[in-house]
Amino acid sequence: MDISVKIGSLVLKNPITVASGTAGYGEELSQFIDLSGLGAIFTKGLSLAPRKGNSGSRMIETPSGVLNSIGLENVGLKKFIDDKLPFLIKKGAVIIPNVAGHSEEENIELCRILSATEGIAAIELNVSCPNVDEGGMAFGIDLNIFTKLVEKVRRVTSCPLIIKLSPNVTDISLFAKRAEEIGADCISAVNTFLGMKIDVKRRQPHFLNRVAGLSGPAIRPLAIRSVFQIFEKVRIPVIGLGGISTLEDILEFIMAGAAAISIGTMTMVQPDLPIKLAEELINYFERENIKNISEIKGIAHKKNRRD
Amino acid sequence: MALLINKPEKISKDHYLLRFNIHGKIPLPGQFINIKINSGTDPLLRRPFSVFNYTDSITEIIVRSVGKGTKELVCAGCGEFDVIGPLGKGFTVLKNRKVLLAGGGVGNAPLYYLAKQLKEQKNHITFVCGFRSEEYVFCRDRYKSLADEFHLVTDNGSAGEKAYVTDKLAHLIGTDDYDMLYTCGPDAMMSKAVALSSKRIPVEVSVENYFGCGIGFCAGCTVDTLHGFKRGCADGPVFDGNELLWENI
Ligand SMILES: Cc1cc2nc3c(=O)[nH]c(=O)nc-3n(C[C@H](O)[C@H](O)[C@H](O)COP(=O)(O)OP(=O)(O)OC[C@H]3O[C@@H](n4cnc5c(N)ncnc54)[C@H](O)[C@@H]3O)c2cc1C
Ligand SMILES: Cc1cc2nc3c(=O)[nH]c(=O)nc-3n(C[C@H](O)[C@H](O)[C@H](O)COP(=O)(O)O)c2cc1C
Ligand code: FES
Repeated sequence: MDISVKIGSLVLKNPITVASGTAGYGEELSQFIDLSGLGAIFTKGLSLAPRKGNSGSRMIETPSGVLNSIGLENVGLKKFIDDKLPFLIKKGAVIIPNVAGHSEEENIELCRILSATEGIAAIELNVSCPNVDEGGMAFGIDLNIFTKLVEKVRRVTSCPLIIKLSPNVTDISLFAKRAEEIGADCISAVNTFLGMKIDVKRRQPHFLNRVAGLSGPAIRPLAIRSVFQIFEKVRIPVIGLGGISTLEDILEFIMAGAAAISIGTMTMVQPDLPIKLAEELINYFERENIKNISEIKGIAHKKNRRD
Repeated sequence: MALLINKPEKISKDHYLLRFNIHGKIPLPGQFINIKINSGTDPLLRRPFSVFNYTDSITEIIVRSVGKGTKELVCAGCGEFDVIGPLGKGFTVLKNRKVLLAGGGVGNAPLYYLAKQLKEQKNHITFVCGFRSEEYVFCRDRYKSLADEFHLVTDNGSAGEKAYVTDKLAHLIGTDDYDMLYTCGPDAMMSKAVALSSKRIPVEVSVENYFGCGIGFCAGCTVDTLHGFKRGCADGPVFDGNELLWENI
């Protein structure tokens, strides 16, 4: 059985990864699971200088979901490379930093430095954070701005480049297609959906930033649909994420077209879930006599109900 | 995994005592456990509760029923629960000193286990136990038995003395010397308690802000401090009271 996944020149040993922002830099997570047992770990969105993130309430639960307004709090590039990276390397993790600069220049600089840094397996460019004023999602919802950024980032990024798309657009597959044309190696879909909570007692938005990002099982059907649409348009691998909490969820994403998957919000709830699901996936492959993930990847596209 | 060994016992209006058998580390006073309310996805996040007491692998917590998760929890039957913990950074347990403890409502919970350990370390304990009114008072005798000096106060005087916790603290701090003030309760109460200590007495507070993961992954629980944002769950929940920027909490 071969459950490895190819992303450009990178080979993940299995398709189960943990998503950016819900696993920190792996330090606390490593107390619960062996990080080297994951396909990869996506670390918290990075900027050049450290960022404090947003003030006020940053998170609130919704039915089977979470709204967050963290605002990309992170330790900054230097501390990431000096303090966080060595720990992850020691743990044998496959490390994919999530790059979330505020300007085109910042993103280019981050990708240039990171892709030349020992121990970085690939870079995930986050054009889809809904929780910051400048940059963030703006890069991911205007196709012209998106194109300019991805072109420039591609030029300076020598390692595999993954583009993490915003679902807050009319047709997400246009962005995936464009990223592929520019030479991205992989697509991550999706980041959080824009949402909002009104505090009825205070008669005002719950979050200071007003809007926030919705994640968790509540968004899963929306995320599956996004991956399904992207798969119809591109040949590069897609990492599917959004609300995954069970083996069946993973299979849905794979059958919709995902080559690998990420677990975000549910890692926060159950830190050992990613490793448990990796084991369950292997058992499933054995049971169903599946030799390679490609046997079921995107299979839902072939079986049209009307056939 | 943890086993809820008794049905939740009602101990005062809206407050319940829950006893779990948890194999694992012995908790430090001020630490919390993080409970998954059910095996489904609603409620989704775990709910954090301070350790109220611990003896021989039995962890006791006090749950105030306030919303969806706590309502479901206090109606639970005995059985297995998915619990992570003990978690977080606890209180500093002094030795052979004179200490002041002040709790407001369910914020008294972590102070019981703290008082127990402080007593073992031969501290002289003055305990101010505050509640809104008599119907909310819980475990009065258990608290009293640990304190060298015990003051029960309620907002309306229906039990103990009619006073706010902070009034009582102002009086005590004004008339005696203490080596440490430990406090847990509503933010307004804690910030006033810190102001009263006016940097003469070291203060440790336990914050109870909204947690996401409770284990340091998500930065959803930040509290603003003199040294920047800190994570309530992993850098706390116990903080040096003078380090917190109370106007932002
Ligand atoms: C470190 C820590 C220790 C705690 N210890 C205890 C304890 O010993 N006993 C106890 O009863 N409670 C304790 N709490 C608070 C408890 O976790 C919350 O009351 C609980 O999570 C609410 O869940 P719910 O589903 O019932 O409420 P929800 O339905 O989620 O919310 C109902 C209401 O409660 C408010 N609320 C939600 N979470 C919190 C919170 N963390 N703090 C204050 N208000 C909140 C909401 O804003 C809302 O108004 C502690 C919290 C923390 C962070
Ligand atoms: C608390 C939190 C922080 C997040 N931070 C980031 C981030 O820094 N960069 C990023 O690309 N996505 C971030 N995300 C989005 C997740 O990586 C993921 O795309 C999204 O939550 C959907 O997956 P899920 O439903 O499994 O969580 C964050 C999500 C949450 C809940
Ligand atoms: S609640 Fe997630 S880091 Fe504290």
